[in-house]
Amino acid sequence: MKTNYRIAWVHLTSRFRQLAVATLSVTFGISMFIFMNSFISGVNEAQTVITFTSLAHIRIYNDLSAREPAKLIPDTVAGNALSVVNNARNIRYTEGIKDAGPILKALKKQKAITGISPQINTNVFIQNGVTQISAALSGVDVQKENKVFHTADYVVEGDFFDLQKHPNGIILGKGLAQILGVKVGDNISLTSASGGSKNFTIIGLLETGATGVDRSKAIVSLLAARQLNSKNKSYVTDIQIAVSDYNKAQKVAASMAGITSYKIEPWQLGNSQLDSANKLRYIMSFVISVTILIVAGFGIYNIMNMTVNEKIKEIAILKAMGYSGRDIVIIFLTQSIVIGLVGGILGLVLGYIISVCTGYIPFRIATSTTLPINFNTSDYVLGFVFGIVITFLAGYFPASKASKVDPVTIIRG
Amino acid sequence: MKALSVNKINKYFYVAQKFQVLKEVNFDINQGEFVSIIGKSGSGKSTLLYLLSTMDTDYEGAISINGTTVTGKSQNELAAFRNAHIGFVFQFHYLLPEFSLVENIMLPALKLKLKSKEEIEHRAVELLGMLDMKGTELKKAAAISGGQAQRVAIARALINDPAVIMGDEPTGNLDSRNTAIVFDIFKELAHNKGQTIIAVTHDDEFAQKSDRIIELKDGKIINE
Ligand SMILES: Nc1ncnc2c1ncn2[C@@H]1O[C@H](COP(=O)(O)OP(=O)(O)OP(=O)(O)O)[C@@H](O)[C@H]1O
Ligand SMILES: [Mg+2]
Repeated sequence: MKTNYRIAWVHLTSRFRQLAVATLSVTFGISMFIFMNSFISGVNEAQTVITFTSLAHIRIYNDLSAREPAKLIPDTVAGNALSVVNNARNIRYTEGIKDAGPILKALKKQKAITGISPQINTNVFIQNGVTQISAALSGVDVQKENKVFHTADYVVEGDFFDLQKHPNGIILGKGLAQILGVKVGDNISLTSASGGSKNFTIIGLLETGATGVDRSKAIVSLLAARQLNSKNKSYVTDIQIAVSDYNKAQKVAASMAGITSYKIEPWQLGNSQLDSANKLRYIMSFVISVTILIVAGFGIYNIMNMTVNEKIKEIAILKAMGYSGRDIVIIFLTQSIVIGLVGGILGLVLGYIISVCTGYIPFRIATSTTLPINFNTSDYVLGFVFGIVITFLAGYFPASKASKVDPVTIIRG
Repeated sequence: MKALSVNKINKYFYVAQKFQVLKEVNFDINQGEFVSIIGKSGSGKSTLLYLLSTMDTDYEGAISINGTTVTGKSQNELAAFRNAHIGFVFQFHYLLPEFSLVENIMLPALKLKLKSKEEIEHRAVELLGMLDMKGTELKKAAAISGGQAQRVAIARALINDPAVIMGDEPTGNLDSRNTAIVFDIFKELAHNKGQTIIAVTHDDEFAQKSDRIIELKDGKIINE
């Protein structure tokens, strides 16, 4: 056994150039695998972070469309009478969440939840002189809102937390402010759908990176929103929830089913395109990086095949001396496994270095100013495992060919 | 006990058509005998030797070596058998070029694993000395002359003290002085150690001095 390794070692070290080429192809393959997957996962996460600046992991709201319109006359009437209702009106008895208190209390007990933010979301008109623009107004609890959406990170002018001190303060999306032609410190007037009107002072501007949001969003305090819509103290329209792992939002949402009869909606519902875009990017990077690894595998196959052909006389003589087919497989397979291991370890290091360097390239996305890169242990483990498996396969076929060499044919000359 | 017993061997090659190389070859060799196989080029000497060596298993008839019938054994069994019982010297010296001379000699013993590495190495150095090659132990096999390589190959064939030593023109590349050395070693091994020697040779003097000559002609034994 030891002798086989010794022979493998001598074969390896006597062909340094070929060894280096084979090793580097594995190194390159594995480092690319790691880099691509780290980068794509970084991009996906940045994309997700942008998405979650305005979309909560789980949202609880009053889903009117899901409720049957109230029936004033039963469908079946006794006797021969026929009931016909024309132009039935949908009478909405309830709007928003009437009493959020008990729901919030129950939610606090859930372990997976990391943040709960009650909101009042309504459409309003903003007036600045003659300009009148409709906007999506959110009344929020500043601290809680920040826990769920990290809003403070995206307030580019002014301070999000100042909203607590200014009952009449408002924060506008940067695009919205541009359309209105206003800046921090200006006063604007808001009109609610129910006709209520109130003056606010702009204390900050918001830039999330999602243009649609930046052009329509306005944030005020929960209290101000209630005043504007003339609603009572515990009225909210939405309860926005953040969970520790957004991929598990569906599961968490399902576990909350008993808490309330209002609609509990995990983000994946109605945003499946986000999820599938992420998955597509993962699949693409995976396919490309595995392809690179397979190409590296062909390189090793080629080199090992050459080695076997070169050493065919030595293989014959070893077999003549009594080395078995298994010994020969070990001798040649060991060589490709060493190439795989060395190339793999170098590939891990190189992949890490490339990733770190890429993480310094300036690029504005979400709150980051450099290209997004994730460091997932699983990418490194997978890359290494794939690399080893592929070098093993690439080495196995030449080795098994070597083990089948007929010594007589070779020695006869 | 017979060191080697060959029973009605027929061997065919199939090139374009069936072609019989060995015809009803039949002979026994005693333990400790030093036998030369001679014959014209193409008479089938090498072919016969490859059958005896157990490397070529494609033949009719039966061969037994040291009382063991080798005909019909699996490739792996035969490899282990060769390793322990047969030593080879080929027409061309096939050494592993990247290994030192001592390492080349040690290879069959390292496979057999009957002795410790130190013992094997000691024996390998001893064999090199016996073949008049003292001081070349650490040279690479790629860096020696053909005659020297042939002697290293002989040393390698001897390392496991095999019962039968086979050579296909083992002295083919050697000058008369080295040929004499090899001949003496073979004779010594046969007569004092009881090892059986079978050597294919074109050297008539070498053959005449050996214990027994088997002559082949067109695949048949014509003289025993
Ligand atoms: N692999 C093969 N395929 C077909 N025919 C072969 C093969 N090997 C040898 N032969 C033929 O078998 C016959 C015997 O060959 P062999 O090598 O045994 O001769 P030899 O007596 O050793 O000759 P030499 O003294 O030249 O070494 C020759 O006619 C040769 O052409
Ligand atoms: Mg021959």
